[in-house]
Amino acid sequence: MNLKFTNVSLRLKGLTLKLDVTLDKQVTALFGPSGSGKTSVLELVAGLRRADRGVIELDGLALTNVCQRIFVPARKRAIGYVPQDLALFPHLTVGQNITYGVKKLPASVLDLSREKLCRVLEIDRLLDRMPSSLSGGEKQRVAFARALLTSPRLLLLDEPLASLDQSLKERILPYLKLIRDEFVIPILYVTHSASEVIALCEDVVVLQAGKCAARGKPADLFALSDTRSYRLRAL
Amino acid sequence: MKICCIVSLALVALSAAALRAADLSVFAAASLTDALKELASAYESESGDKLLFNFGGSNALARQIKEGAPVDVFFSADEVQMDNLAKADLIDPSTRADLLSNTLVIVVPKDGPGELTPAELTGPLIKRLALADFRSVPAGVYAREYLTKLGLWTAVESKVVPTENVRAALAAVESGNVEAGIVYKTDAAISKAVKIAYEVSASEGPRISYPVAVVKGTRNAGASKRFLEYLKSEPALAVFKKFGFIVRQ
Amino acid sequence: MRSAEWEIVGFTFAMALLATFAILPFGVGLAWLLARKSWPGKSVVETLVALPLVMPPVATGLILLKVLGRKSPIGAFLQEHFDLEMVFTWRAVVAAMAVMSFPLLVRGARIAFEAVSPRLEQVATTLGATRLRVFMTITLPLAHRGIIAGSVLSFARALGEFGATILVAGNIPGRTTTLSVSIYSDIQLGHDGDAFRMLVVSVVLAFVAVWTSEWLFRRSTPAA
Repeated sequence: MNLKFTNVSLRLKGLTLKLDVTLDKQVTALFGPSGSGKTSVLELVAGLRRADRGVIELDGLALTNVCQRIFVPARKRAIGYVPQDLALFPHLTVGQNITYGVKKLPASVLDLSREKLCRVLEIDRLLDRMPSSLSGGEKQRVAFARALLTSPRLLLLDEPLASLDQSLKERILPYLKLIRDEFVIPILYVTHSASEVIALCEDVVVLQAGKCAARGKPADLFALSDTRSYRLRAL
Repeated sequence: MKICCIVSLALVALSAAALRAADLSVFAAASLTDALKELASAYESESGDKLLFNFGGSNALARQIKEGAPVDVFFSADEVQMDNLAKADLIDPSTRADLLSNTLVIVVPKDGPGELTPAELTGPLIKRLALADFRSVPAGVYAREYLTKLGLWTAVESKVVPTENVRAALAAVESGNVEAGIVYKTDAAISKAVKIAYEVSASEGPRISYPVAVVKGTRNAGASKRFLEYLKSEPALAVFKKFGFIVRQ
Repeated sequence: MRSAEWEIVGFTFAMALLATFAILPFGVGLAWLLARKSWPGKSVVETLVALPLVMPPVATGLILLKVLGRKSPIGAFLQEHFDLEMVFTWRAVVAAMAVMSFPLLVRGARIAFEAVSPRLEQVATTLGATRLRVFMTITLPLAHRGIIAGSVLSFARALGEFGATILVAGNIPGRTTTLSVSIYSDIQLGHDGDAFRMLVVSVVLAFVAVWTSEWLFRRSTPAA
């Protein structure tokens, strides 16, 4: 993918987001503590928020250009978005949830068949169930499937593993790797977990107080500390 | 000595009470509004009493008196309502007097036809006719009685818009929302937005009578009787005549 | 109960139903705008919508009388071009009921919309849905119980409406007499027995309506 932020600026409560980076790896992490503006970045890319200034381009096409008053509405961006609380539609079945976006988007980059997706994410037996009856891990996979079935150009994941316990995290991680490897869809992955960055991402942007504090390969930016967990190296 | 003081204080207090002005509660028919308000100021300065009026449909007022409203004088627009109270032993029959009468008129908005006979009320030009509620309010009862006598009631009934009292019927005609109304001549006289299109003569019209009486539950019997006497006096009758009421002698 | 009395109950019921359906699209639409959008002067709109709830009903009735009467621009227009009379007809009954119950509908529907997480609507847009599709497939289905509860309450209010109705529609037997107006006029005439019977009917209707509305409010769970 090629996701370019040029002089993008957004005033938020308590801080101002300022981004001027180009993301060109398949899986990029957006790393930082809570309150650093990570979710807002995803909302800007998804078209759910308008920037105050700047240009956001995906694969050369402008999604947002404040000076030129260009703003592609969210529904035309073909960008998949999985928010932190998953936001599954509670009144629709799993099957209805995942097919909600199908056939409504312009021509897709990849052709993902529903059967393959459901098989890979192991939700084929859940299609008639209601979201409220699903376990945490099942809900997560359904949310992924819903976003993926529209064959998006880019997938935005907001802390997908944050609310899961350790064993569940370990069970979902392989699915994320599968999405990365099997479907080859570019991913922008928001997290505050260093180990997830190391496990999944090729590139990481470290966000602090709304600004890009560091940029580079996970291995360069993170080090294994004495407690056998990954920590950000001093910047 | 002490007893002397107490007794004299008590006497002073009692005489003060006797001399204190009364507040009279007078329930009167809506059509009497303007005439009574005019005589009120003269009476109040002369007697020192204060008059507190409640104007409305005589049936509604009678109802309130029956329910125990604290009233001193009742001035009705028809005998029926006064008789009802008499039957319930709520008025002092010795004070009852038939003071006034009135005339029915057909009124139309200022820009309406110059003349409108009762028969024409059944015609297509008149879509709606405002009357005080003909089931109970005196003005409406009189109007129905009159139209029934002429054999026109059944034809007119479907056009009737019943109102709460005669002044409301007048207001309906003033607003232009109805083509005509039947009210008292005295009501038409005070309105600038309607004109009289027909006057029902005393001989062909219903017998209209405005009885007045002191209510039995009054706490101011003396002041109430004084007020009634005043109503029969020349200056008061002159005011009623000025507004167009017929004085019965 | 005599047949004339049942007719009055039926008439009142029918007019209240008509009034509720008439305000439904406007009330729901306005409620959605109030729940989701912001604009300069929004608080003025909110206050105006709430006015009929707080103003004396006869005052509202007077305004309606002036606005719909023959001499007003609207009343005159309707009369000239459609030969349509508003005041002193059943249309005035519906108008009075509609105006007086509108705030309750907006209130109920607004609460229902606010209970739908905007996040769900946002995700739906990223999945390619137009605003209309989001409204029809996500917002409305999740808000519908609250909207129905608001409608039932508004219907109950319409059933009981008196002050504005009597002023703008009068009390024309067989044409504009509603349940509440008939109780009033029975009292005026001294027909206490009749008044009491109608009173019982109106209490029963109000009880059922409010109870149903509360039950629906309880059952409308916020979006998971």
